[in-house]
Amino acid sequence: MTGKQTTTWAAFLATLKRDLLIAFKKKNDIVNPFMFFIIVVSLFPIGISPESDRLTEIAAGVIWISVLLASMLSMDSLYRSDFEDGSLEQLLLSPHPLFFLVLAKNISHWLVSGLPVVLVSPLLAYMLALPSEAYGTLVLSLLLGTPIMSLIGSIAVALTVGLGSRGLILAVITLPMSVPILIFGTLAVQSTLNSQSPVGYLSLMLVMLSVSVSLAPLASGAALKISVN
Amino acid sequence: MWVWFSKLGSPKWFYELSGKWLPWLIAAMVIFMAIGLVWGLLFLPPDYQQGFTSRILIVHVAVAGTSLAFFPLMFVAGTITLVWRMKLADMVAKNAAILGAWFSFVTLATGSLWGSVMWGTWWEWTDSRLVSMLFQLFLLLGVISLRSALEDSDTAAKACALLSIVGCINVVIIKYSVEWWNTLHQVSSPVNMDASSPNGPEFWIATLIMIVAVYLFLSVSLILSTRNEILERERKAQWVQDLVLKS
Amino acid sequence: MSSAAPQTFSNSNADKTMLAVRDLFCERDDRVLFKNLDFDLPEGQVLQVQGSNGSGKTTLMRILCGLNDSYEGSIKWYGQEIEEQAASFFSSLLYIGHRVGVSKVLSPVENLRWSCSLKQAVSDEQIMAALKEVGLRGFEESPCYTLSAGQQQRASLARLIISPALLWVLDEPFTTLDSKGVAMLEKILQRQAQTGGSVMVTTHHSLRIAELTLLSLG
Repeated sequence: MTGKQTTTWAAFLATLKRDLLIAFKKKNDIVNPFMFFIIVVSLFPIGISPESDRLTEIAAGVIWISVLLASMLSMDSLYRSDFEDGSLEQLLLSPHPLFFLVLAKNISHWLVSGLPVVLVSPLLAYMLALPSEAYGTLVLSLLLGTPIMSLIGSIAVALTVGLGSRGLILAVITLPMSVPILIFGTLAVQSTLNSQSPVGYLSLMLVMLSVSVSLAPLASGAALKISVN
Repeated sequence: MWVWFSKLGSPKWFYELSGKWLPWLIAAMVIFMAIGLVWGLLFLPPDYQQGFTSRILIVHVAVAGTSLAFFPLMFVAGTITLVWRMKLADMVAKNAAILGAWFSFVTLATGSLWGSVMWGTWWEWTDSRLVSMLFQLFLLLGVISLRSALEDSDTAAKACALLSIVGCINVVIIKYSVEWWNTLHQVSSPVNMDASSPNGPEFWIATLIMIVAVYLFLSVSLILSTRNEILERERKAQWVQDLVLKS
Repeated sequence: MSSAAPQTFSNSNADKTMLAVRDLFCERDDRVLFKNLDFDLPEGQVLQVQGSNGSGKTTLMRILCGLNDSYEGSIKWYGQEIEEQAASFFSSLLYIGHRVGVSKVLSPVENLRWSCSLKQAVSDEQIMAALKEVGLRGFEESPCYTLSAGQQQRASLARLIISPALLWVLDEPFTTLDSKGVAMLEKILQRQAQTGGSVMVTTHHSLRIAELTLLSLG
């Protein structure tokens, strides 16, 4: 007969490649949340104050909260079309550990939705008058925090994938869970502004990231099985 | 065979057993509640710092302490639902989420009532316990709204079980991170947090009685609502129909 | 044959029962779909599941695949419960449901590259040959949203040609196919049975396959 069973690594790579390809072909799912992020950030100076002193104070919080809101929008596309066209069933029936396949989907999602946000953040930080010495910390905190958001959000998306309209319930479930990330992300930037070391907060976020990477895909996999049942 | 047994056997067993316990639990609840409320709210000597305000605190501390039990309870119930597929655990979890949301709300309400007298403000972000309770309330509302959104009861049971487990872990992380966040913003706080612990052994005894009373209240309401749930979900079972015909 | 078949294979009964279902019970929304359901699926058989709408055909198929676990009873794969050997069972199983598992933004080739590589290594030549066989020549690289429902179905069915899976579980695979497509699929199913594999299929269509047995629900 044809073909040997693939290694888990090959299945992981195939899933990662496929999701990146889909993202590349369905640019709207990626571009719109990104635009939303930039627009929300730009609204704050208009709504609060154009004075650079006040903007400096709120810059980290504004960027972080906008990241959380934008990630709610982008998360929705993570499993939706796969659920609707039946690809999710194929994923669940793979002989490979679901953990790695879900992880591949999460990584791909972060690469196209989280990473662009991280890359553009120094520009927005400049517009919000954040002193340049805090850029590094902001980018690092986002680099550690946005994957955690993708991983945790993935659980909530997986639980609600069978629902018709789920945009709001996703936010209701996920946003309260993002409080610790918000706290440590903004504290890291604040401490840099107060000329203290942000290393403590960043390493805490690193710990949270490693815990999320090792546990969240398990929960997402279980949630997908429940939703497809 | 075990799965079969636990799925069909347990609700009936629970219904009969809880029926025997209920009168005793209710009696104990009434006694403790009466002592706690009458003594605590009417006769307890006023605290030297806080005056009569400390009396609200008795209720607040008792309800707040009980509120912390809900997520661990739902964690255990969720694990049982996912691992052993026991229907009873899901019925308990469903009502625990709703009761938990009420308890969290009452904690916030009594807390801000007390705060309005003590701190001169109804809401104070610098009190980490209030803030983490607020987010516990949000998480519980998330579980409730997930259940109401899912139509298939089996899917809803498992999905809520999983969310409760994730939520329980999360609520612990939120609690510690909010406390941390709080200590860093303490400097700017206009409120003297040290004033929040009144002295005197009577206060603690009254609080203890109140805590027992509220835990009993929690058990009684959980058992009552679970019994209702059992009757509704098992309405086609023979023993429920016999029960209805008898009464 | 595939390396996925467990060791019990060689010392099992002479009739080589692949799938043995005993005392299956399923209840959905307070309605009993089936109870005391017993059947065997030996190697080299096509089992057609029949029943009126709502009789639980799709649920049965999903239960057999391990997609739905709200059932009581025993499902054995070469003498061992499927839950106890999920990975090896999944590698010998191919399932195509109502939702055919074809992403609309990807082309048939891109779809097959992914869905096949979840199970076994596959070359582009194999994929192209399979697509040609199901009549999608010339559409290999077009995004699936430009294809008709029947063509998408064919793209999904191309997996049957590539797959070495011993058991195929197909839920209503004939619905969107034209008469030529029906004949093609019947031929593919027959070939699977003749090479020692088995098929479970739901359809209202009367199949012209020699190795056919029927199972009625409801």
